[in-house]
Amino acid sequence: MQRKTLVYSLLAIFFSAILIFTSACQGNKGTGAQILRVNLAGEPAQVDPNQASWAAEKSVVSQVFVGLLGFNQDLTLRADVAKEIPTVANKDISADGLTITFKLRTNVTWSDGQKVTAKDFVYSIKRELDPDLACAYASFYYDIVGAEAYNSATGKTAADKTALANAVGVSAPDDYTLQIKLNDPQPTMVECMALWPVYPIREDIITKYGDKWTDPPNYIGDGPYLLTEWVHQDHMTFKPNPNYWGTKPKRAEIDFLMITDANAALAAYQNNELDIVGVPPGTEKTFLNDKTYDDQRSLFNDLTTFAFQFNVTKAPFDNKLVRQALSCAIDRDAFINSVRSGIGKAAVSWIPPGMPGYNASIGTQYAFNVTQAKALLAQAGYSDVSKLPQITFSYSNTAGNTTIAQFLQGQMQQNLGINIILDPEESKTFSTNVNSGKFMWAWFGWGADYPDPDDWLPGLFGTGAGNNHTQYSNPAFDTLSATALKEQDNTKRLADWDQAQKMVMDDAPIVTIFYRERFNLVKTWVKGLKTTGMDGQVIGDTFYNEVYITK
Amino acid sequence: MTRFVIRRVLWLILVLLVVSFITFSLMHLVPGGPWDRDKQLAPQVVAALNAKYGLDKPFYVQYGNFLLGLLHGDLGISYSYQDRSVTQILMQGFPKTAVLGTTAFILALLVGITFGMAAALRQNTWIDYVCVMFSTIFASVPGFVLGILLIIVFSVILHWFPTGGWGSPSQIVMPAIALAALPAAFMARITRASTLETMRQDYVRTARSKGLLERVVLIRHILRNSLIPVVTIAGPEFAALVTGSVIVETIFSIPGIGRLFVQGIFARDYGLIMGTVLFYAFVIAIANLVVDILYGVIDPRIRYE
Repeated sequence: MQRKTLVYSLLAIFFSAILIFTSACQGNKGTGAQILRVNLAGEPAQVDPNQASWAAEKSVVSQVFVGLLGFNQDLTLRADVAKEIPTVANKDISADGLTITFKLRTNVTWSDGQKVTAKDFVYSIKRELDPDLACAYASFYYDIVGAEAYNSATGKTAADKTALANAVGVSAPDDYTLQIKLNDPQPTMVECMALWPVYPIREDIITKYGDKWTDPPNYIGDGPYLLTEWVHQDHMTFKPNPNYWGTKPKRAEIDFLMITDANAALAAYQNNELDIVGVPPGTEKTFLNDKTYDDQRSLFNDLTTFAFQFNVTKAPFDNKLVRQALSCAIDRDAFINSVRSGIGKAAVSWIPPGMPGYNASIGTQYAFNVTQAKALLAQAGYSDVSKLPQITFSYSNTAGNTTIAQFLQGQMQQNLGINIILDPEESKTFSTNVNSGKFMWAWFGWGADYPDPDDWLPGLFGTGAGNNHTQYSNPAFDTLSATALKEQDNTKRLADWDQAQKMVMDDAPIVTIFYRERFNLVKTWVKGLKTTGMDGQVIGDTFYNEVYITK
Repeated sequence: MTRFVIRRVLWLILVLLVVSFITFSLMHLVPGGPWDRDKQLAPQVVAALNAKYGLDKPFYVQYGNFLLGLLHGDLGISYSYQDRSVTQILMQGFPKTAVLGTTAFILALLVGITFGMAAALRQNTWIDYVCVMFSTIFASVPGFVLGILLIIVFSVILHWFPTGGWGSPSQIVMPAIALAALPAAFMARITRASTLETMRQDYVRTARSKGLLERVVLIRHILRNSLIPVVTIAGPEFAALVTGSVIVETIFSIPGIGRLFVQGIFARDYGLIMGTVLFYAFVIAIANLVVDILYGVIDPRIRYE
């Protein structure tokens, strides 16, 4: 009898507790007036600017730090901590292009009040190159004197490492002057100094806190926001920096939520828990056509191009004509409409619109044209397509990629009568195989690290270059690249790259398919959002200090 | 009984060693490493990363270092979350997963056993049919379908609960339901079957013929005896719930450890994989041990030497 009453009363308490709690906590969290809530879609691995390499990390770092230079919405450079952008004209770049001098503003402060000086940049650049830290973007700064030697010093003694660090060509002749010496002139080094790996870092904070320096109270930056709270895998909160030296932000707080499932994030947006959300793949048509979302759509060019890459050492792709033929056999407009639900632009050239180097007339000779495709194949000796060796198309087995692969298979069959085998692979296995050349034809994408053809051509198409998986090798391209990298006359430089891009598209080691667009929904009460091609994981994150909420 | 427990604990250590060795080997045999990505890192950076994390050492040295670290209670470092050690990650995430898992477990137990017994006692009535139908449905509906359905109905349409996250009790309700659905269905079916069998036993008939109240027969005789199969599955079920479900945690954005294992494998995060595998193995082994001890409590016929 006692046991039964006990059981019943326990049950009663349990259920009534649930009812009380749920009714007390009804409603949505955080519909406070001046909070911008966005979804980071996952926990960043770490938020140390020197070590950051993923888009999510970049989004966090760019709220808390400001560097020498930044990017405007049109992707031109803007002087932030630096007083002016170094050019040959204002003598901040030496005539031979080997010395770059940055003059810093004197009113820039860290969030704890101390002044930002050139020492902070020297420390940061050397830390970026420190072999013990193994920073992903270190190789972008190898043109600095002594940088590559220092970064490659992994096995050496501590004394050797210190000597190499001291030999790196960055110095601070005085508190507000930063001098960088290069091995060869590289006009785009100025642009690389606008990137996050060389944001200023406080040496005393790192020495004092070590690995714990990125935890909220210690995470000192010179940017418009402070990271006030980080509940791992749940959310990050940013409040405005009261000591910010620049224009004060208009709104109070940013919350980065970490909802990993795209559909759950969309549900959160619809439940007013998020102010900006990415449209999940597969639902694009609904949101494009639904009138209720007319003033909530945000669609803009990402600086990303997707292509199919050939392994030009494997038959039949060692024959240029076959590659060109396959490029002519793919209906890119159909791809955009059926596979991408109309989001994105068809691509026949490599460098995407929105950045210097984009040329809409490149590659048009290999646009969709089935007759030309067949003619090229015949010229290559394959008028009977059954003579072609078996073609295998590899890709990483995400749901989106499967649709793309099936589309390609359909196009090959429909337009040329070629049967290709699809080879889906697990993500990292796919990366490993591509990087070691174990593929014939693979899916491939590239996003800009910085908006310049420098970042899009030599590293991908130079002989033996790090990201050259196609094994493409063209001595004329290599010579042209070498000249263009050092060319200080910007017009001539871009003309050189244009020619280089033409060479590549003509030789067709890749078949470009589309330029990506980012499709997001933004609540109507979010004002002042500025999206750019250099945004990180969340759109508009480089200009959050101009966003405000009207409710 | 103490000798039994000690023996089991020793077996536990051996099992953990074997599990760790197999996992370690498999991890390194699988193609692809933690630094492989579509935008290849410069070879000097890869060399520096391998040196930093000791990945350039021979296999047995790496495994040896891992075991040594284990003796000091250090489960290693994670490459996906570089500012915390694996132990810290597990300690931060486990309480949340455990609370969610325990809530789901209690819910599954209460609902499962209650309905299972009710169905058995009222066999072939509408209660029975409804119970069997629901248990079949919830055993078949995949977790992610149920989760998204709950979000759409209760968050987006009705605005009763937030869509996910952690912190307030209202955020536990939907994930607990999504998580408890399958175990509840199984427990209902097993309770029903076991109760039906117990009801037919001679001692139940004797108890009734003695004139005992039906309620007393139910609780003192039928309930305890029919629970043995339920306890058998409840133990591993609890272990599975407490170690988290990657699907429910992903859909409801619960910052627990359920996702860590799968994420770790996809990222080739060796430290995280080893840490979570050992943690899971430990929890499951302990859960099985508790179940075995409980047998002794429930069924006096079972004795261990």
